[in-house]
Amino acid sequence: MSRRHAFAGFRHGVLLVWAAVTLLPIYWMLITSFKHSGEWVTWPPRWVPHEPTLVNYVKVLSSGTSTFELGRQTLTVLTPLWNSLYVASASSLLALLLGGALAYSWARFGTGGSRYPYNILSIRMVPPIVIAVPFVVYYVTLRLLDTYTGLILVYVATSLPYVVWMMLAFIDEVPLELERAARVMGASRFRVLGSIVLPLTASGLVVTFLFVFILNWSELLLAVTLTNTEVSTIPITLNKFQSANEGRDYGPQAAIGTIATLPVVVLGFLIQKHLVKGFSFGMIRK
Amino acid sequence: MFKWLPFVPVQGLFVLLLLPNALLLVYLSLLSWRITRGAWWAAPLTWLDSFGVALGDERFLWALARTFAFAAVAVPLELGLGFGLALLCREPFRGRRAYGTIFIVPMMIVPAVVGYDLSMLLIDQGPFNQVLSLLAGRPVTVRWLSDYTAAKLAVIGADVWQWTSLMFLIFLSGLSGLPQDPIRAARVMGASRWQVFRYVELPLLKPIIAIALVLRSMEALKIFDYPMLLTQGGPGNSTETIAIYLWRMGWEFARVSHAAAMSLILLVVVALYTFIAIRVLHRERRRLVEGSV
Repeated sequence: MSRRHAFAGFRHGVLLVWAAVTLLPIYWMLITSFKHSGEWVTWPPRWVPHEPTLVNYVKVLSSGTSTFELGRQTLTVLTPLWNSLYVASASSLLALLLGGALAYSWARFGTGGSRYPYNILSIRMVPPIVIAVPFVVYYVTLRLLDTYTGLILVYVATSLPYVVWMMLAFIDEVPLELERAARVMGASRFRVLGSIVLPLTASGLVVTFLFVFILNWSELLLAVTLTNTEVSTIPITLNKFQSANEGRDYGPQAAIGTIATLPVVVLGFLIQKHLVKGFSFGMIRK
Repeated sequence: MFKWLPFVPVQGLFVLLLLPNALLLVYLSLLSWRITRGAWWAAPLTWLDSFGVALGDERFLWALARTFAFAAVAVPLELGLGFGLALLCREPFRGRRAYGTIFIVPMMIVPAVVGYDLSMLLIDQGPFNQVLSLLAGRPVTVRWLSDYTAAKLAVIGADVWQWTSLMFLIFLSGLSGLPQDPIRAARVMGASRWQVFRYVELPLLKPIIAIALVLRSMEALKIFDYPMLLTQGGPGNSTETIAIYLWRMGWEFARVSHAAAMSLILLVVVALYTFIAIRVLHRERRRLVEGSV
């Protein structure tokens, strides 16, 4: 066998192993969500459900609130799903708007000095648990505890550093000469933004939005600290029912996990081509 | 006007959200206040007592050390695996797209979902032990969620499973953006594949390795979701990270002042790390912009 073939075989071997490692948990969640309760925990574990069922989905998607009484869980996910969707979309859009504008003005006008993006990044380094304790006291005073506005504001602040750093890379690629030429020809700054900068960074905006949306859609610690019953998000719901030791409802939990994962993964597949180019954080010289 | 238009709301948000919190954190740490004991502004000042308690609390110090230890194992693994997979996927071959699609899925899943998904896989008589038994050819019965060592591995494994995907994506991004001229020049001058990689590509990739390391390690030090959903910090305290311990301190034990003092100590430790990380990033990016790479 030639060296070339040996390398190709080696490559497929390694990649297949990692693909299997990646797919195993995903597959297990998917099939558990289609299993009757009798098949959740068996020995040997059942890799293909005998009678696939949609009962778990029907259960978690029915209306009503999640309850946990006498060791029996009733999980419903419509309200947390809506809450997560609303909070994550609003905070990600706001962060994208503010962070994108800031990245542009820093790249072109040096807003905030040469070290400004680094200062912003260091904000992301503060562990959320550090601010969680005083945040509750502060939010109680402002009457923002357990409100959409409260959670959205926090998420805008925590996702801004990523927006700024990702957008810097995309703005670096907009040719400065093009903008100068447009200005010389009499285009206003808004016109330059709308006709040159926005179209050239459009894919970057989408990639950045997806990434911070994932972060905000997934966030658990701050959500569980700063909300109570009104703004319960999906990660909170999962956490609440996981910490119950008895009567675990594997099937409905797997259904919720699948529902929480699907929209993001579909979105990810749609923009996969851009994803592969969009994660260099300005750290490669073109 | 364009210079300051985005600056004002961003800076305003940070100042309004973070400054009062920082002051409040310091003030709370100087008090002796529990949530169960009336209003915080009426609590007595005990100055540095809480810090004394914090530094004398072995469980706190262990949680801190454990968090850094988890990150020290998980982050290099994620970087190494991500880099290796990206290298194998850089050139076109049959199936490349399929592999790439599969490899980036984990980062799109809610970490809480990953945590509880793995808690299904890792039960004592679960599919993971079954697969291990098949591979080993004899029954494997590791108690992943209730053994002191195995539970640590499970938490680290969850982190590696999820975040290798982001590292893969970052490195694939970096490799696909490499400038081709120096590589071609080196090939023409007769450099071997290995020499091109070692002396041309690796130096060009240094900045992106730096940012991947900084981003990943700063998130890894916040680890909360996986141990919370997999083991609730157990068995014993063997997977209790600093985020989980402080969370319990504040809300389960209601010792808010002690939690605040410990938070400040954690903040000082993280600030030290941040200072170094930012310096490295700044140096790498300045080199990049000035073109001395």
